[in-house]
Amino acid sequence: MGDDGDMALRKKALAAVLLASGAMLLAGVAAQSQGVPISGRDFTNAIEPVTIPDDLKAKLSVLPKDKLELITSGRTSRYVRPERMFTKLRTLSGPQLTAYIDAIISVTEAGEYKAGRDKPSIALNTKSPTFNAWKVQRPQTMNPKREDGPLELGKYIGGFGGSGIPTFANAPPALTYADLKAGKVDVAIVGAPLDMGSGWRDAVHGPVLLRATGGAGGNDMYSMVNPNAELKIVDFGDIAMDNLSTERSVHHVREVVREIAKTGAIPIVIGGDHSLEYPNLAGITDVHGKGNVGVVHFDSHYDAGRDRVHLIDHGQPVYRVISEGHVPGKNYVQVGLRARGPDAKTFQWMRDQGMRYHTMVDVERRGWDAVMKDAVAEAKVSAKKLWISFDIDVLDPAFMPATGTPVPGGLTMREAQPIMRRLCAENDIAGIDIVEYAPYLDTSYKTALNTNFLLNACLSGIAMRKKGLTQEHYLSPISSMDRPAPAASPPPPPPKTPLPKAAAPVAKGARR
Amino acid sequence: MSALSRHMGRRVGARLAVCAAALMLGLGAQAAPKGFEYPASLSAKLSGLTPAERAFIDDPVKLETFGLTPERLSLEFEKRDAAEVKAYVASLLTVVEESKFHDGDMGELPLNTEASSFNSGTVLRPAILDERTRDPGPISLQRYLHQRTGIPTFANAPVAVRKEDLVAGKVEVAFVGIPLDMSSGYRDAKHAPTTLRITDGLVGSDVDAQVDPTLVLRIADYGNISIDNMSIERTQGHVRFMIGDMASTGAVPFIVGGDRALTYPDVAGVVDTLGKGKVALVSFSAHPDAIADFDHELVDSIAVGRLLTEGLIEGKNLVQIGLRGPQAKAADLQRLASQGVRYHTMAEVEKSGWEPVMAKALKEVTGSAEGVFISFDMSVLDPGDAPGVGRPAPGGLTMREATPLVRRLCAETKIVGFEMLDVAPIMDPTYKTAMNANRIMNACLAGIALRKEGLTKPGYLAPVSLGAKR
Repeated sequence: MGDDGDMALRKKALAAVLLASGAMLLAGVAAQSQGVPISGRDFTNAIEPVTIPDDLKAKLSVLPKDKLELITSGRTSRYVRPERMFTKLRTLSGPQLTAYIDAIISVTEAGEYKAGRDKPSIALNTKSPTFNAWKVQRPQTMNPKREDGPLELGKYIGGFGGSGIPTFANAPPALTYADLKAGKVDVAIVGAPLDMGSGWRDAVHGPVLLRATGGAGGNDMYSMVNPNAELKIVDFGDIAMDNLSTERSVHHVREVVREIAKTGAIPIVIGGDHSLEYPNLAGITDVHGKGNVGVVHFDSHYDAGRDRVHLIDHGQPVYRVISEGHVPGKNYVQVGLRARGPDAKTFQWMRDQGMRYHTMVDVERRGWDAVMKDAVAEAKVSAKKLWISFDIDVLDPAFMPATGTPVPGGLTMREAQPIMRRLCAENDIAGIDIVEYAPYLDTSYKTALNTNFLLNACLSGIAMRKKGLTQEHYLSPISSMDRPAPAASPPPPPPKTPLPKAAAPVAKGARR
Repeated sequence: MSALSRHMGRRVGARLAVCAAALMLGLGAQAAPKGFEYPASLSAKLSGLTPAERAFIDDPVKLETFGLTPERLSLEFEKRDAAEVKAYVASLLTVVEESKFHDGDMGELPLNTEASSFNSGTVLRPAILDERTRDPGPISLQRYLHQRTGIPTFANAPVAVRKEDLVAGKVEVAFVGIPLDMSSGYRDAKHAPTTLRITDGLVGSDVDAQVDPTLVLRIADYGNISIDNMSIERTQGHVRFMIGDMASTGAVPFIVGGDRALTYPDVAGVVDTLGKGKVALVSFSAHPDAIADFDHELVDSIAVGRLLTEGLIEGKNLVQIGLRGPQAKAADLQRLASQGVRYHTMAEVEKSGWEPVMAKALKEVTGSAEGVFISFDMSVLDPGDAPGVGRPAPGGLTMREATPLVRRLCAETKIVGFEMLDVAPIMDPTYKTAMNANRIMNACLAGIALRKEGLTKPGYLAPVSLGAKR
């Protein structure tokens, strides 16, 4: 234990030093230490220029200047790679050569946006009398009068099973922000059924299936804390979505997350696809201030895509969060990356932003315990408050088969649960999201069960913090040890019980 | 089927729209019982309402969008005093107002015009940029003469990459996949083109007609058309162009979606080539997909309606078969009828039986425009035959009802296009939906082959298959 503690302190100090030393230095050190010569510039909009080989210069000099410039600018390389083009050009001459170059230029110009030819936006039907119907609120005047606060739906005063109405973590529902305030709600769990992810879709049914299946709520044996008993948790229903437009939906999500946080409750957003990370962080920093919230992003994907036609989708939220300044890159910690992206250039961009990443490659190299230790330490020093953005595809498809874009080789439940509990206990949680559950792939409902257990691990962490159980990797002595070991004397021998005689079935049953 | 009803719930906008349309036509979809009047005991409370408020509570169509009827409203009013009643009604009218577009709302969705890939998904590759040259024409990907497996294509057909390949091969039927995945139901239609390529049912003859369309017809697999699965709007223009381009070669486009939103660009593309008034549309679907109004320009539930409102298909040239489920509301059906549309609901099948309905539908189609486009949304079949569907609705047609009608339509009319829509493979663990979808397309191919062979006698069935004469 002592060694571990020392190590933790040293790692913590190291993390702090690294943070202070700035993004460029970090990138430089890391790149050097691995012998990877990557440039430090922001490549975001950079296009590699093309140099014409000497042997082709004379041949291409017949081309008009503007065409040659377009080729050397590098803009055409997206369609025909320079080496291929050069090989082909060596075989062509005269009208054939001109036609080949013209074809390359024509596809390039057709591919890029051109004002007048292309629409810079997608028009909506603003004349529709139901333009905003998708998010219009039901007037509370339509309900019977009641005092503000969470609704009591339980029919019975004792016993098991709750009300029969499925809710997140068996929590009572709340309908309005006034309900949250009046109920002094600690945690408001809200569904966000955004279903525009690019893999298997069906995230639209994520929230309702997680309500309908078990696993969230109740005692957490690891901490021996029952979040439902320690915290005032509510189910805040679902946020309205326009499932034909992520762009339109995210603004409403931002508003709801902001308004929940303003009441003092911690928002927990159940997706829906990972585009939600953007409005979640925009909404939460609207309340806590830009730069005051750090993020741990669990995912097999880096989700900092850019240069796409749509400004937001489930592969780009991190880029938009950082580029709009809601969270500085240095306050981002990514865990579990292993999908095909990012490429080396994008890793460089992430380093330039000061982002921390712990790929599954890192886990393969150093083991989970070391990685978890670093990630928790980095999260603690990153900002005043912490948001956890948890894409369930960070886990192996063995545990989470029902997700839009699964990637093999992921975390196990025994790795993911402790870090979730620890992050939520050892940090001041601003909020979390759990995204990308696609029920139609979940024939056994094990994905739902695991997702709900992860939700409960965080709820337990938040409850532990409320009880003051914030020491590093706290585990309950009651459940983690057989019994407290006496200081000096050896443990007593196990009691000698005679083997039972050929036991009657009844007696056997009774023993169990 | 709670999932389905939730989808319908998401379409609250659509419901509002339907009701608005019904109001315009004076057709109450859920008209209040005749003669309902608010009880006299409420008159004092209601006297404080403005004329607009009063008109609103007297209009059952407007109340329906709130889940209210005058009767329910009476109960609510009884519990409240006059001021509260007024506040209640005012809050409903506020919702009507809030539902409209207002300055400051996002009236259009901005795109990243700096994206280097802005259009690149739809830029066609010119032959001159191919690495190697080849003569135009469809290419078989089969290494063996009698290959059953290998690289899958629709109907094991050779592949055509460009229009020139269709022309050179004198292709009569060109399959093409369009994996648009924006169904308002279960979204997995993007995997349908691949799944229908890898599953059986599309190749060979059937016992009914004893004609092997894959032998009689020159068929090609034209690959997939590029789509933007974040935007139907950005997808539809390219689809319309590509389908029109295919049709211009004389090939019949056999489109495998994708979801129902495609009906608009698919049919529009064929009409662009053949001309307005030249195409009739036969729509097999549980859903009429002609709601009056929507906040997006195109979506499955509005696709058929847009063809009508834009005059691409005349009402008299549209026949709808298999309607049922919550979308087929009285107001919509009445509006369709007023435009001259013929529709056959499952209620009609229940009342008259399938044979008469089929005969009627065939007569209507043969009497409309010369070219016939068949839109086959798999929701028309019962979920027993087709569980793997984006918007399933119980109580649909059986394969034994749908197959002969499709074969007859394709034999007895001139088919100019066919689309198979909204197969959702993820909901199809036994692959029976895929097999049935392929069998339906095979039935149409068989019909086209019969027509080519001159066997267009109504209801033709192969004599040999009907057994020896006794």
